Amino acid sequence: MSSKAQSSNNLAHARRTVQQLRIEASIERIKVSKASADLMNYCSEHARNDPLLMGIPASDNPFKDKKPCNIL
Amino acid sequence: MNNSQVEWGAAEDAAPYGAAASPGCRSPPPLLLLFFLLLHLKTGGASSPCDVMTAASAVSSEVQPNETLTHLKTESDTLKTKLEEERAKLHDVELHQVAEKVDGLGQFIMKTRRTLKGHGNKVLCMDWCKDKRRIVSSSQDGKVIVWDAFTTNKEHAVTMPCTWVMACAYAPSGCAVACGGLDNKCSVYPLSLDKNENLAAKKKSVAMHTNYLSACSFTNSDMQILTSSGDGTCALWDVESGQLLQSFHGHAADVLCLDLAPSETGNTFVSGGCDKKANVWDMRSGQCIQSFETHESDINSVRYYPSGDAFASGSDDATCRLYDLRADREVAIYSKESIIFGVSSVDFSLSGRLLFGGYNDYTINVWDVLKGTRVSILFGHENRVSTLRVSPDGTAFCTGSWDHTLRV
Repeated sequence: MSSKAQSSNNLAHARRTVQQLRIEASIERIKVSKASADLMNYCSEHARNDPLLMGIPASDNPFKDKKPCNIL
Repeated sequence: MNNSQVEWGAAEDAAPYGAAASPGCRSPPPLLLLFFLLLHLKTGGASSPCDVMTAASAVSSEVQPNETLTHLKTESDTLKTKLEEERAKLHDVELHQVAEKVDGLGQFIMKTRRTLKGHGNKVLCMDWCKDKRRIVSSSQDGKVIVWDAFTTNKEHAVTMPCTWVMACAYAPSGCAVACGGLDNKCSVYPLSLDKNENLAAKKKSVAMHTNYLSACSFTNSDMQILTSSGDGTCALWDVESGQLLQSFHGHAADVLCLDLAPSETGNTFVSGGCDKKANVWDMRSGQCIQSFETHESDINSVRYYPSGDAFASGSDDATCRLYDLRADREVAIYSKESIIFGVSSVDFSLSGRLLFGGYNDYTINVWDVLKGTRVSILFGHENRVSTLRVSPDGTAFCTGSWDHTLRV
């Protein structure tokens, strides 16, 4: 009795796996060269706006400790 | 060939299990043709693919379970090898080869600007608020604290009824935080400006899993939360009603992390688990769209590339890998012989050029995403780095560690 339940379980599982693989196999893919080129373009486009990449002047850095001004 | 294409379309509609119709299949993929051939031979005379599809489900329920099982097994193996072949066909060049024309990055000097002390035990998770200055963090002692990163003041503190709060997230509006852990639930606490208000009283329990909560994240609004759990599933919940909107099954083991796609690219998210797989899901249908299994150990962290076309993952096998969604394969591995400790957390800089990885050997490695080389290594924590997030405006990143502190 339990073996039958197990085999039907395995069956359902196998069927799901096949279903999943079928879906995955049918998706559209592009070449790695095109995908890499797109990634590179994105990087260069946004590099100017990236503070961690470009560094920001100390006056704009909200985390830099501001030294107290001494007014004589 | 034309005839079979037309019938193909019809077959897709008739398919009883509602497989998502592949967008514009101009020519039937060879592996599916193979399947049809096999089934054609088996059923002995189904005249069209349409009949074969419906016959397939009928046949498998009638025939002996053993027979169908082995048949399905061989079919899945065939599909898997075909999948690998298809992926390999498009692998014409490596990312770092294409990136050779790009300028190299100079030396980076990143310093710890703030150290947030206050947790009594290991910091397990943290998240930034959209206002770029507030941070919520959770720790093993059950405390969830909201900090102001500029002033290092603690704004709110909540004690959860459980220990090991492994997940916390800030709502997009900045008015609530969600957290969860060993209590198997995700609770949302609305944050009020009134300091005397008892936050714990306003708690709303949103998600219920059958095992620990490993990660949670608000979707674009305050109204929905996505959670992942040790029970191997991810789930989408409505905050107001606590109702389960969608559940995602497919991981064979605990799901450790998840990340939502950046809003321009739609309703998908990626999850990584102990079964070494990273799965990309469609939030509306609950279907797993893509799956990647190249890591050699548990995937601890996944993060989408800023453009949404790729994602990075960090794993206990000491490597970070970049997967491109449109090319459907792994395109880069970030590893070094000298790095043997697992990666607990990864995040990209704003432009996506830098990948930060928090490692279990107490360091943070900064990688050049395009060239695949390590740019910098940062020291400072006295125990393993458990969580790492770049701020929304990209000016800083925060790390949380088992040494009870957070550093910005």
